[in-house]
Amino acid sequence: MNTLRLPVLLAGVLLAAAAPRQASMTGRWRAVLDIAGGALPFELSVTTQGGGLVASICNGSTCADQASVTVTGARVLFDIADYAATITAERRGDSLIGVYQNVGRNGPRSIPFRASKGTWPRSRPPAAVLGSWDAWYLTDQRRSPRVLHFTAGAEGLEAAVTSNTGDLGVFWGGGTADSFSVARFDGVSVYLLAGRLVGDTLRGVFHAGLRTQTPFVAVRTTGAPHLTAPTALTSADTTAPFRFSFLDLDGRPVSQNDSRLAGKVVLVDIFGSWCVTCHEATPDLLDLYKQYQPRGFEILGLGYEVTGDSTSDNPQIRRFRDKFRIPWILLHAGASVVEETAASLPQLRGFTAYPTTLFLGRDGRIREVYAGFRGPATGAQHTRQLEDYRRIIERLLREAP
Amino acid sequence: MIIGPRGGRMGAVLVFLGAALPCPAEGQSRAAVERDRTAFADWLGSSPISPWRAVVVRSIGTGLSIGPDTADIPLTGVTSARLTEREGRVLLRTGSNELGLARGRIQTVGGWRLMVNGTPGRTTVTVFGPAPARDHKKLAYYGYLPANAHVVTLRAASAPRAQRLMTPDGVEVEATEAGTIELRLGAARRSLTVMRLPGATEDESELEIYFRDGTSGKTTYPAGRFVALIPRSDGRYLLDFNRARNPFCAYNTVYPCPSPWRGNSLSEAVKAGERYTGGGLEVPVP
Repeated sequence: MNTLRLPVLLAGVLLAAAAPRQASMTGRWRAVLDIAGGALPFELSVTTQGGGLVASICNGSTCADQASVTVTGARVLFDIADYAATITAERRGDSLIGVYQNVGRNGPRSIPFRASKGTWPRSRPPAAVLGSWDAWYLTDQRRSPRVLHFTAGAEGLEAAVTSNTGDLGVFWGGGTADSFSVARFDGVSVYLLAGRLVGDTLRGVFHAGLRTQTPFVAVRTTGAPHLTAPTALTSADTTAPFRFSFLDLDGRPVSQNDSRLAGKVVLVDIFGSWCVTCHEATPDLLDLYKQYQPRGFEILGLGYEVTGDSTSDNPQIRRFRDKFRIPWILLHAGASVVEETAASLPQLRGFTAYPTTLFLGRDGRIREVYAGFRGPATGAQHTRQLEDYRRIIERLLREAP
Repeated sequence: MIIGPRGGRMGAVLVFLGAALPCPAEGQSRAAVERDRTAFADWLGSSPISPWRAVVVRSIGTGLSIGPDTADIPLTGVTSARLTEREGRVLLRTGSNELGLARGRIQTVGGWRLMVNGTPGRTTVTVFGPAPARDHKKLAYYGYLPANAHVVTLRAASAPRAQRLMTPDGVEVEATEAGTIELRLGAARRSLTVMRLPGATEDESELEIYFRDGTSGKTTYPAGRFVALIPRSDGRYLLDFNRARNPFCAYNTVYPCPSPWRGNSLSEAVKAGERYTGGGLEVPVP
């Protein structure tokens, strides 16, 4: 197996001796997680909100996933409640030293964490790696396809890593003339992609979590399909109208017979407020809604939430709704009340990804199924997916009611 | 290592791209091992899904009734409910309510917590009680010794076989043979099989060795112990027996126990990592 000595973004991590001074918690912190293959950089932006402290987790210009911050003496706790994860650290002058933890089935997954007041320096994106690459991940002599897409972002090199079921969100980092390192930490994803251009081939390692290292090779995208099409993963029973009955956020049952959907072309968004890709897809759905709703188009959001208990899940869905000002119908699909219609999703075969998008014709039958979503980070794939969506909606709108 | 204070401008000078970062000491130091042991002990004591709180682990099979004394899983305070698996989805039905349960997530039912795991067709449910069992054994470890950490080379399997195996928590998964490692124990050269088990997220996996040795059944758990390979920056791996840990069946007999892996029995005693003081030992520990 090919092993590389990896170029890692943030080297020689800055031992600067200065008199210990307790920095204000508010402001920007540059941070790393020390995974087995190197240091995974990100930033925390701490602000005061409603008398308390909150932190946004930032990968370059992309900040999301707020954590509440509690300071007790020298101890600082970042509670990333959405993902049942925490960062606990000790404050030493302007530095934080501690551990990121989330809980897996086998106990805590702990990754050392360090941070210091300030931001990571931004670097110019290496021109040689910009664009799309068809990659193969190599594990135990099996290979699985990915598409890597590098762009020059406002704050450095940005990248998207797309598998058959969508992308992992925006990665951020930098590089030199022929090497790169981009990372993503959003409270639950712990990813670092690093590699080097050797001739016409990118070679490197994809790091996941504390210690998974997957070598990859990639060549320039040729245009031929490299990934399984998002329409080829999940299929549906198209012979009968899509059946469902779930409660809305006020506890009212909504079914396929709802008058707001009758005779409409409906996009069914199977989502979760915990799903990073779903957050990335929603602004595009808002655009579609604005464009097509006056012509007989509707969106229906089926939320699958963490607990399935509406008392704790509905606030999550409401937060999701308010974040994007979602105007369409949102249902809590994790807690259906009418048993026979709870069987609506078994009309799908091979459900694998959040989000999954169904297009219903005016007659209510499922016409297209897209598994996953290629987010804005994926560039052309994102554009193509939205073009597909528009083409489908236009076609279905033209059909007679 | 500490990131220097007042990083801004000074950091910009010191940080440059493309340079190698020294591999963190994680995994090599006594402090890291002891910190992980403490974190694990805290988790066992406080987590709602701690094995010390598990009361039952059952395969869902054709369906399980939950609640009354006559149910497959009697749970005090829970009115009659039923767990079924349909087309890979796990459903919990209570009266006319039906709830889809996501794998690996916690569902509260009365004062109990349910978690479903496993692959479609082989799904299990674990039920956790509100507090750790009173009679659970304390954790016990051998003291940390640097000599128990070996740097090894993974020799990839030429034709990796897929195999159904149990993870430490007794969940059956599809694993792949990653290869073998060799190490020197005293004067002997020994070889151990390394399997790749699925990890916490889709792109994560763990290189695990489940092994037995001269201490198994005497001072350590009879069925064996797990130890993960930790990648180093030079392409080799750290096999640190100080990190050897018990399968969950050692903490609570409701968990199924992984069968020992063929060929992974060492005749030498590896006096490192987690010990065992419960039942089933050849020589009871005083």
